[in-house]
Amino acid sequence: MARIPTAELRRYLLTGQICRRGCLCAFNFPASRPPSRYLSTQPSTSTSVPPTSPLRKQLKEQAKALKQSGAGKKKKKTDNQTVPGWELTVGIEIHAQLNTHHKLFSSATTTTLDSRPNTHVAPFDLAIPGSQPLFQPETLIPAVRAAIALNCNIQPTSRFDRKHYLHWDQPSGYQITQYYHPFAKDGKIVLYERDGIAAEDGGKIEVGIKQVQMEQDTAKTTAQPGEVQWLDFNRVGVPLIEIITLPDIHHPATAAAFVRKVQLLLKSVDACVLGMESGGLRADVNVSVRRAGETKLGTRTEIKNLSSFKAVEDAIIAERDRQIAVLEAGGVVEGETRGWSLGSTETRRLRGKEGEVDYRYMPDPDLGPVVIGNDLVDHLGNSMGALPDKEIDHLINNYGLSPKDALSLMLLDDGARIQYFYDVLDELEERLGPEEGRECGQKHALLAANWCLHELGKLTEETASEPGIAPNIDVRIPSVDLAAILYHLHRKEITAKVAKDLLWNVFRGMVKKGEITETIDMCEWWFKELSEEEYVDIAEKVIEGEEKVLGEFQRYKEGKSKAYPEGKLMFLVGKMMRAGPEQGMDPASAKRVLRQKIEDVLSKGK
Amino acid sequence: MIARARLRGSSPSLHHATLRQHHQRRLLNHFISKSPSSADPIIPKTSQFTLAVKDNIATTSPFPTTCASDILSNYTSPIEATIVTQLRSLGANITGKTNLDEFGMGSHSTHSAFGPVSQDSSLKDPISAGGSSGGSAVAVANKEVDLALGTDTGGSVRLPAAYTGVAGYKPSYGMISRYGVIPYANSLDTVGFLSRQVKPIRELIAGFNSTESAEEIALWKYHDSKDPTSLSLSARLRCAKQREGYNKEWDQTRLNGLKFGVPLEYNIEELDPRIRDAWAAAAERLEQKFGAKIVPVSLPTTKQALAAYYVIAPAEASSNLAKYDGVRYGKRNEEASSDAAGGVLYAATRGKGFGEEVKRRILLGSYTLSSEAMDNYFIKAQKVRRLVRRDFNRVFALENPLQESETFELSDLPDNIEMEDKWGPEEVDFLLCPTAPTLAPKLADVVDQKSVDSYMNDVFTVPASLAGLPAISIPMPVASEDGTKTAGLQLIGQYWDDARLLGVAEAMSKSLQTK
Repeated sequence: MARIPTAELRRYLLTGQICRRGCLCAFNFPASRPPSRYLSTQPSTSTSVPPTSPLRKQLKEQAKALKQSGAGKKKKKTDNQTVPGWELTVGIEIHAQLNTHHKLFSSATTTTLDSRPNTHVAPFDLAIPGSQPLFQPETLIPAVRAAIALNCNIQPTSRFDRKHYLHWDQPSGYQITQYYHPFAKDGKIVLYERDGIAAEDGGKIEVGIKQVQMEQDTAKTTAQPGEVQWLDFNRVGVPLIEIITLPDIHHPATAAAFVRKVQLLLKSVDACVLGMESGGLRADVNVSVRRAGETKLGTRTEIKNLSSFKAVEDAIIAERDRQIAVLEAGGVVEGETRGWSLGSTETRRLRGKEGEVDYRYMPDPDLGPVVIGNDLVDHLGNSMGALPDKEIDHLINNYGLSPKDALSLMLLDDGARIQYFYDVLDELEERLGPEEGRECGQKHALLAANWCLHELGKLTEETASEPGIAPNIDVRIPSVDLAAILYHLHRKEITAKVAKDLLWNVFRGMVKKGEITETIDMCEWWFKELSEEEYVDIAEKVIEGEEKVLGEFQRYKEGKSKAYPEGKLMFLVGKMMRAGPEQGMDPASAKRVLRQKIEDVLSKGK
Repeated sequence: MIARARLRGSSPSLHHATLRQHHQRRLLNHFISKSPSSADPIIPKTSQFTLAVKDNIATTSPFPTTCASDILSNYTSPIEATIVTQLRSLGANITGKTNLDEFGMGSHSTHSAFGPVSQDSSLKDPISAGGSSGGSAVAVANKEVDLALGTDTGGSVRLPAAYTGVAGYKPSYGMISRYGVIPYANSLDTVGFLSRQVKPIRELIAGFNSTESAEEIALWKYHDSKDPTSLSLSARLRCAKQREGYNKEWDQTRLNGLKFGVPLEYNIEELDPRIRDAWAAAAERLEQKFGAKIVPVSLPTTKQALAAYYVIAPAEASSNLAKYDGVRYGKRNEEASSDAAGGVLYAATRGKGFGEEVKRRILLGSYTLSSEAMDNYFIKAQKVRRLVRRDFNRVFALENPLQESETFELSDLPDNIEMEDKWGPEEVDFLLCPTAPTLAPKLADVVDQKSVDSYMNDVFTVPASLAGLPAISIPMPVASEDGTKTAGLQLIGQYWDDARLLGVAEAMSKSLQTK
């Protein structure tokens, strides 16, 4: 399946102007100085290698969350997803930073994480008197893509409003957002079991999206000692989308799965760059409880600024339990805003209703309506590539991956791993040629997927101390080399063990790019299978002295045990593999010969 | 003129001293800052002219841009307003920045951190120069500059022009770039021009008609990409195509036989009888001299327009002025222990930095935008605004090129409107009315006035602002017991009919000034 490479997508979206400070010359620097790589390249020579450290962290977090949702499901079911006699209702607001070159209303460029403070600022961003907002139409591209991915209706006309509140991170005293007329409405996303929803939600659940609006980000503040705040206006005015759901979620794990899925969707259409853990995505959740059977929703509280999937789930559980406790004690839940700190067990009150700001929403008199034509929506929809669910289905149905492996492959390295897999697969299929490729069904694809996921997984795990390996895997192990290894493995020209050795040698730089076959030649690692007689010889030696094991086979033969003792057979195969020459034996052949031999011995013995 | 206040490089402390001095001696001044080179004789070149700029229009160093507010009294803008750049490229020498009502909020240029403006400071009982562009009007009237820039949100150029006896023009909304104009109410703000004669203004806007290069300096053509409300070039050309006066030389004879509407609702109780007489005399002169036809028309929403204006303008002002917190620029209240002293963020800085009238309008605007009052005030006012525009579209013969044409119910019209035929009353080319209901009041009386009373001065100027229409005030002689005085005669045209409006005003102005 053709998938538009991330790099190409980004070039198309941003007309080749984006500055990604990943670099080609990462290896010129000692691995112990990872930050220096950000400072080296010119924007014009940029590549699509994603920035490293925050994404690694995020990957870990994702993997962890995934593990939790998979492994811990049973525990959750009994533990904390439901409280008997009560129903939980959750609505979510997600803020995601759009992947654009310019700010929403000024020509100042958006920044990378390491930009010096206050270097990407136009007069309007600082609210210089007399400066005016200039809507940057290019910001619509990721915004509309996001809305399409969220199955929204794109509104032909939308408008910008001012939301007033005074804070030092908001230079103009108001945020420009879309309150009265958002650009996208009435969407939905479907969450499946594999997305990690609560078991109570069954195989899948639909979450409605009320609206998606564009708005400005605020400045970054850094608290200093003595009530001093440092302000960095680089982020002010950077475009965000706010995604507001309907109150369709009733289980904490499903809420976390929803946020995770939104992140996956936004990334898959290149609508946003950074994930939750790097601050590119933030969630507010509205939580209420009611007694089972009641029709009216309970009073809701809002928990602001949750910055990880775990925090979403934990905060909802804590708030639900707090509200239930209040109600069971005969109290009343106040509509208020609450906060959550990582690692805590309780939400804390930030402000009550009386402390709520009246935002005094007013249409921005400087900004005209945004008119989005159907041609743009159609073009973006058609050129977007497959959405994650379709792609995961494809991996499962056509290549035979397990749902878990398919999802992992999609999530790893911020989407780079699946791209790498397609590269390897392309190279492999080119080598196999159309005929051979067709003959073997999709076995070669499953082989490639397993290697991209599990063998590379082992490799990155063991080299975890060297930062930046995982996202840059294609630099250390060119896809053409992995494809060459898999080609020979698939054709049984080398053994799996040799293949793994080759992988490590490539990784360590011991094998020149494109010289896999030469290396196998040189090292004489080709698989030279033993003759049938040689197999039989070894098999005979292996069975010697294993009368007790053979007894199991005898019992099966006599019908005393129902199942063929497969385990015992494999034990003997293992012994046989160790007894024979390393490059000469195929476990499958060994198994076949051994099984026959045992049969012979037992028959003879009779 | 006495006070040539601040020179280049004056330190803040010196500046405070100057300020205090003003208040103590009650010196009345119309310049906030003046060019240090203005003392040198300017080499007169035909292409050059002197320009005064209202101090809420951004200029770069050496001129500060204070908006006559204490909160910006130490502020020099890093950006220059597009209109200033344009005029400088046409040969303007900036003489100085003129005094105004703080952020443009006022009708007499008395609400200024730099002290009030008056027409002739040598008088014992000084007279109001009007506001908020009072400083610019006085600089023009005193012949200190050839041209002055003001801003007109609800009459802030036309009213001072009327009081000081000069021409003051407010262009169609969207014609002149607002980039660098410090907003009071964005949807109403326009750059305005003040001059002793209409001709130089017309030449700037519509193009010189004497030289070949004329077309290039016509300001009506310039779209500014930095102002999102500046009309695109294609829209400008489309509008101009439906109008006269942009492409050919202005033909004096085309003035003959024009129809002028006299709005019945403008004959209000508060109208000074001397002005009412002068208005009638001016109409008569038009009939006699230009063969014009005077037609009574009805603008039924006039009464509500003033109220709508004083809801919309403060609402936008409360939003626009939220940025003044002393953090990035402007003055911060350093005496307060923190920015959040007293429990409300920036209360100390904003409480000290803004004047009373500005605070009044911020509070008013904050209230009308609040969730409890929004529907009853802000939304209603916006509806009134539409009705005001509809009123104008109904009386003008030309259509508004930015709107779909509408049909009107004849039964909605007042009974005293004469029908021209079965299709309805006569449609007119321009509206003719006074600029203000009274003559320029004494400053002493103004200071004692309630805010609401001074809002009354804007009753004739606000409707054109709400509808975004071009309007001009030209001097009109008024016979009074103590000799001839001057008031303003206002002409209002349909949208983008600026060139013809200026042409008519030029001809009429000449006629009114000759006996």
